[in-house]
Amino acid sequence: MSAAALATRQTAALAWRSIITTLRLPQAWFPALFFPLVLMAIFTASFGGAPGNIPGFPPIRGFLDFAVCGAIVQGVLIAGTTAGAAFATDIEHGFFDRLVASPTSRVSILTGRLGASVALGVVQALLFLSIAAIFGARVEGGFWGIVVVVIIAATFAAAVGGLGVYLAIRTGSGEAVQGMFPLFLALLFFSSAFFPLATMTGWYHAVAAVNPISYLVESMRDEVLGGATIWTALTGIGIAAGLAAISISASAITLRRRLRVAS
Amino acid sequence: MRTFAVSMGLAGRNLLLVRRVPSVFIPSLIMPLFILVATAGAFHGIGALPEFAGASYLAFTIPMAATMGAGFAGINSGMTLARDLEGGFFDRLQSSPAPRIALIMGPLMAAMARSVFTTTIVFIAGMIGGVWLPGLASTLVIYGFCLLFAAATSCWAIGVALRARTVQAAPIMQLVVFLSVFMSVAYVPVDALHGWLGQVAHYNPVTYILTASRSAELTGTIIWSQTWPGLVASAGLLLVLGAWALLPLTRLNDR
Repeated sequence: MSAAALATRQTAALAWRSIITTLRLPQAWFPALFFPLVLMAIFTASFGGAPGNIPGFPPIRGFLDFAVCGAIVQGVLIAGTTAGAAFATDIEHGFFDRLVASPTSRVSILTGRLGASVALGVVQALLFLSIAAIFGARVEGGFWGIVVVVIIAATFAAAVGGLGVYLAIRTGSGEAVQGMFPLFLALLFFSSAFFPLATMTGWYHAVAAVNPISYLVESMRDEVLGGATIWTALTGIGIAAGLAAISISASAITLRRRLRVAS
Repeated sequence: MRTFAVSMGLAGRNLLLVRRVPSVFIPSLIMPLFILVATAGAFHGIGALPEFAGASYLAFTIPMAATMGAGFAGINSGMTLARDLEGGFFDRLQSSPAPRIALIMGPLMAAMARSVFTTTIVFIAGMIGGVWLPGLASTLVIYGFCLLFAAATSCWAIGVALRARTVQAAPIMQLVVFLSVFMSVAYVPVDALHGWLGQVAHYNPVTYILTASRSAELTGTIIWSQTWPGLVASAGLLLVLGAWALLPLTRLNDR
C-alpha cells in the first residue's frame, strides 16, 4: 500500500474514532445541538417583530430564516471546542503518546481530527437547516444555496477544529480548552451573527464590522434570505478557508514541535 | 442566635472560597457584564420597536443582566457547597454541633451578598454606557429583586448539590437558571413576544420579576401594579425552591 493510501486509511480510522467518541458521550454532542437551537427559538420568538419594522432591518419572510445561519456557526463553534477538549484528554490520558509510538502517519493525527470536525459540521448544518425548515424557514438559494451554506459550515468547522488541536497541544488540558470557550462565544456575539450590522451603533458596530465572523455568517444568510451572488458565496468560503489555513498551519507547527520533543 | 452566627461564618467561608477559586470567581464577574454588553450591543436596534415606547435598550437590559448576575451568584454558592460535599468538609460540619439549617443558610446568605456585588457591577457598567441610576427608591427595588432571585437560585442550586453530591451537577444548576431567565421577557417586552414564548413567559415567574425591576429602572418610580406580581413571583419561587433545598437536609440523618 502506498504511503498516501495508508495515511488516508489512518485518517479515516482516526476521524471515525473521534466521531464515535463524540456520539457516545451525550455531554459532547448535546450542548452543540441544544444551545444553538434553543437560542434560535428564543431569538425568533423575541425578535419576530423586528424585520421590516426597525431601521436597518429589511423585511424578510421570518426571523427564523435570519437566525438559522448564526445558530449553525454557534453549533460548529461549540462542537469544535468539545472536540479540542477531547483531543486534550487524549493527550492527558496517553492515547496520543501511544499513537506517536505506533507507526501511524503523523499527518493523519491532525487530519483525522479535522476530518471528524468537518463531517460533524456538515451534519450539523443540514440538521439545523432541516429543523428550521420544519418550523417554516426556507432557503431561497435552493439546492445550490444549501450546498454553499454546508461548504462554509464545513470549512469553518475545519478552522475551529484546527484551533482546538492547537489549543489542546499547547495546554494539554481538556479543562483549559473548555475554559476558552466563552472567548469564542463572545467573538460570535460581537458580530452580526444574530442581528444585522446596520442596526448596531457606536463601538459595538465598529467591532462587529471588523469581525470576520460577521461576513462569514452574512454570506451564508444571503443564501437563505435570497440575494446571494457568486461573490457573496466566495466571500464566505474565502473567509472560512482563510481562518482554516491559519488555524491548521498553527496546529501543524505545534504538533511538529511537540513530536520533535517527544522523539 | 447561634444559628445566625454559624450561618454567617459559613457564608463568610463560602464568599472567601469563591474569591480564592479564580475559575469560579472570574465567570461570576464577567458573565453579567458580558450579557449586558452583548445583549445591549447586538440587539440595540430592537429598541426602535413601538413596544419599547422609546426606552433605551441598554436601560432595558440592565435589570435582565443584574438578574442573571444574581442567578450566577446563586449557582456559585451551590457549586461551592457541592465541592464541600465532595471534599468531605460537609460531613465534618454535620458531625459538629452546627445547627442543620445553618448548613444551607450559609451558602444562601453568601449568594445574596454576592448578588449585591454583581448588581453593583452591572449598574456601574450601565453608567459607563450612559444610563444613570433610576433614583434611590427604584435602585433599591432592583437590588431587592436581585437579592430575592439570588436567594431563590441558590436554594435551587443547593437542592441540586445536596442530591447529586458532586460538582459535576453544575451544568444542571446553570441550565435551569439560564433557561428560566431567557425564556421570559429577557430581550423584549411581553407584548413583542411571538408564538410559543408568549405562552411560556406568561407562566414563567421570572417574567414578573424582570417586569417589576424593569419598571423601576425605566420609570424611576415604583409603580405598584408592576411591582407586586414580581414580589409574589419571588415569594413563590422562594417557597418552592426553599422546600427543594430543605427536603434533602431532613434526610441527612439517614445516611
